[in-house]
Amino acid sequence: MPDMKLSAMRKGMRARIDGLPDGEMRSHFIRIGLMEGSVVACLERLPGGTLVLGFQHQEVALSGELAESIAISQV
Amino acid sequence: MSDTATTPHRPHKHLRTQGPHGDPARKRIVLVGNPNVGKSVVFNYLSGLYVDVSNFPGTTVELSKASYLTYDLYDTPGIYGVSSFNDEERVARDIILNGDIILNIVDAVHLERDLFLTQQLIDMGKRVGVIVNMLDEAHRQKIDVDLEKMEEELGVPVVGTVAVKRKGLENIHELVDQVREGKQSRELHGELHAMLSTVGSQGEALLVLEGDKVIAERHGIPAVDISRRDEIYIDRRNRVNRSLQQVVSDVETGKRVAAVLGRWSVSPWLGFPILAVVLYALYLFVGVFVAQDLVEITEGQIGNRIVEFQIKKWVARHATTTVSVDVLDAEGEVASTRDFRFEDGLEGDRALWHDAQAYVGLEVADYTFTYDNPWLVLFFGEFGAVTMTLTYLLFLLLPLVLGFYFALSVLEDSGYLPRLATLVDRALRFIGLNGRAVIPIILGFGCVTMATITTRLLGTQREKTIATTILQLAIPCSAQLGVIAALLATAGPTATLIYTGIIFSFLISVGTIMNRTLPGGISPLLIDLPHMRMPQLNNVTKKTLYKTYFFMKEAGPWFFIGALFVSILQVTGALNSITEALEPLVVGWLKLPRDGATALVMGLVRRDFGAAGMYHLDLTAYQIVVALVTLTLFVPCVASLMVMLKERGLRQGITIWIGSLVLALTIGGIVSQILN
Repeated sequence: MPDMKLSAMRKGMRARIDGLPDGEMRSHFIRIGLMEGSVVACLERLPGGTLVLGFQHQEVALSGELAESIAISQV
Repeated sequence: MSDTATTPHRPHKHLRTQGPHGDPARKRIVLVGNPNVGKSVVFNYLSGLYVDVSNFPGTTVELSKASYLTYDLYDTPGIYGVSSFNDEERVARDIILNGDIILNIVDAVHLERDLFLTQQLIDMGKRVGVIVNMLDEAHRQKIDVDLEKMEEELGVPVVGTVAVKRKGLENIHELVDQVREGKQSRELHGELHAMLSTVGSQGEALLVLEGDKVIAERHGIPAVDISRRDEIYIDRRNRVNRSLQQVVSDVETGKRVAAVLGRWSVSPWLGFPILAVVLYALYLFVGVFVAQDLVEITEGQIGNRIVEFQIKKWVARHATTTVSVDVLDAEGEVASTRDFRFEDGLEGDRALWHDAQAYVGLEVADYTFTYDNPWLVLFFGEFGAVTMTLTYLLFLLLPLVLGFYFALSVLEDSGYLPRLATLVDRALRFIGLNGRAVIPIILGFGCVTMATITTRLLGTQREKTIATTILQLAIPCSAQLGVIAALLATAGPTATLIYTGIIFSFLISVGTIMNRTLPGGISPLLIDLPHMRMPQLNNVTKKTLYKTYFFMKEAGPWFFIGALFVSILQVTGALNSITEALEPLVVGWLKLPRDGATALVMGLVRRDFGAAGMYHLDLTAYQIVVALVTLTLFVPCVASLMVMLKERGLRQGITIWIGSLVLALTIGGIVSQILN
């Protein structure tokens, strides 16, 4: 599916990251280990769109708004 | 330690940038690591007893410094990398740049994330030693970390620990002697060395190259475009990932109780019930056990009846004093009262003091000392700055703050707090905050002053402003909550519902309005969920003590100044004038008895005094609602005002203060008009 956003992820889905927002947020994502090409799993999705993502033994939570700015493709 | 690593670059003579703190002759060890990797445990292990906690100059970031052997030992805030994205990073950056030895603590389970910082420290040309912590957790998750291979890949010495269980910590002493420069990207290293003539050190050169404006400015050179940072970051990320393929091998992710609990606590169905249980446990411990049972003993018995009494009696030895004695009955109500007048002090008329003692007999009594000398009243009278600060700080606030910080440390060490922030993030966005703000808001129900200090952990000025405003306006602290609950119990369920409804909708309205009107937006939540762990008692205790000490040191003087201020108002008669000026408002607009004015003004000193003052008035159920709404929204206590002024600045602090005064009276009045 083209132009899919991370915010569209549902629990149990896996996706590859295609695009990150620019600037400091992007640098921060690279630091914690998320880049274009990284694969993430959606572990939980809370009402309101807050996501819990799993990758490389890590779990991070991010708000739906931020997920809106990240492009993915489902794997 | 293996010696198979490629020969590290020879240490270069680098200029030392000026450090704002510490003895320049002593070498500095700096502990660096991501958040939640166990840095503080390592720091506590190395530092021993004496630790100096202070604010880093110009910021509100806490900085711990101690002595270790012949070194100065610095703890830094948890960071994901060395740069200038926020206050914590800026503070850590400067300490790292000035450090001689860097001990980098990494989480064995999160090496992908943590080694980015490690590699950056190595790229800075720092002498680094790596402490791989939480090996037990890695073992449980069936992640195998090859420490020797890691040493080879990074080119710096590595030791493994389970810090909370004190395993492997003794190896850190040896590590300090073995630190060295690690393997750097050859290309990058060349580029950095070309810059050495313009900037002081390789570390600073790297930061300039990574687009750090502050460092560039320090050396008067233009900042490098941040697209270069992305290149360097991606290259570093790739180097780290390649190294890790050699170092880490994992089989499967085991399902453990803690991991399962961790997942449940952020699930849509179980998350909220778990939150309810946690909050209820918190309420039972802090709200009931500490705030009521324990404080009744410390403040009611030790503070008032023993310490304050002895001080006042001592002051009255040679001073003209009237002692009024209230003898209490079994229910604690005043049974009889008598005044004793000592023209030459208690020492001057010992017989009269014996009479007073005989009057009390074996009953319990409250003594009020009224001194003729206004100076004595100022410091030791009813609101005496010395006596009140002492009882308030040591016997009411200290147990409360200890209890709250203990509960908070348990939650923090268990790994629950970030999950709580995740759970409530969406809801808090309505009032312009992100999930992290849940911590100061919960603390506010303990002590608004303490919570106001904690707003520091919020990411942006905008969030700090909104959180502080909500705390000061609409969150009743534990001192008030007890009296509020007692009053509401007499007023009945309808009144309780109206009261909570009003306060809650007010809180939402204020947050929403501020969110709409303040420039900027809500910073998005991106938060690490650490492993859930069983909190270790010694670590929790140490944390509780540090935090409590820090709070008392920070807030204590303000409580004294606040009490002194009110005491001056009382001695000069200004307190009476204010009360009189408020009376028409209280009687005409709020439709409360005249004495309600006194209760409101007392609320300035201590919020619970205000609420307690209302307790003794004979109020109808609706009057109780009006009184409590007004009191809750009314200006916060003097100490929290002082702390707010310090944190938020004079202009904003005063605005919030006056705003809450006006809003409290307006809304209280409207409620009164509607209910009547």
